[in-house]
Amino acid sequence: MSVAIVILCVLSAMLAITMLFARNPVTSAMCLLGVLIMTAGIYGLIGEHLVATIQLVVYAGAIMVLFVFSIMLLNLNNEDTDYLKHPGVFYSAILLGLVVFGFLMYGLNEHFMNHRMDYQHGQFTPDLIRELGGNSKVLAHALFSKFYVSFEVISLALLIAVVGAVVLAKRKFD
Amino acid sequence: MTNDILLQILAAFLFTIGMLVVLLRRDTIMILMGIELLLNAANLSLVAFSKSAGMIEGQIQVFFIITIAAAESAIGLSILVNLYRNFGSIKTQDATSLKG
Repeated sequence: MSVAIVILCVLSAMLAITMLFARNPVTSAMCLLGVLIMTAGIYGLIGEHLVATIQLVVYAGAIMVLFVFSIMLLNLNNEDTDYLKHPGVFYSAILLGLVVFGFLMYGLNEHFMNHRMDYQHGQFTPDLIRELGGNSKVLAHALFSKFYVSFEVISLALLIAVVGAVVLAKRKFD
Repeated sequence: MTNDILLQILAAFLFTIGMLVVLLRRDTIMILMGIELLLNAANLSLVAFSKSAGMIEGQIQVFFIITIAAAESAIGLSILVNLYRNFGSIKTQDATSLKG
């Protein structure tokens, strides 16, 4: 366990909590941007270079630019934190979050400590990936040979989404 | 405690925070940001499990999830612009014209 990964984990957890309680939407967007960049750093540190690059370019680049641009376009002010005025709603949501977190921790404990959920180990050990020419080459080869139908279908879905977004943003509904 | 356990705990924590953002915040743009945080947590969990198991299917899945997340945020934000045009606000409690 390297020190850099621990630092990135702690920072991204703190930024996520700040995002939950920030009043200004721009502050929340910047905190989400920090979380995404630190996740990209974690991907890079564990050796998934292609996923780290895609995360930086698409998530932290394109999607967050879209969010910040929408906040500017909609001219949002500070959100009144009225969920704090209803303590019942607030505390029951926190309780629900704790329950979900507890269930996830239970599943992780079963997996890592008791080894109750056995799964088949794949063939792509770090040595084999290094021998085959690196992470990006292995992933690109799989993407364009074994998963090429999914790749084409996902590009079609993206095209439909672009057309739908343009139609939705241009037309004036009454 | 290894890297895998730490990353899985972080993914679970980010998932919980994203769920709380969706539940608690009143701005629809904050709800969309919470959905992005949920997808990011799922991505982190997929990559960490796939890395520790020696597979690459998880990373391929993460590509597809990121593409779908981009499409989802583009559609969601254009719906949100329409919501602002019609109601003059993007808070969830203002868009109540559907109830009878």
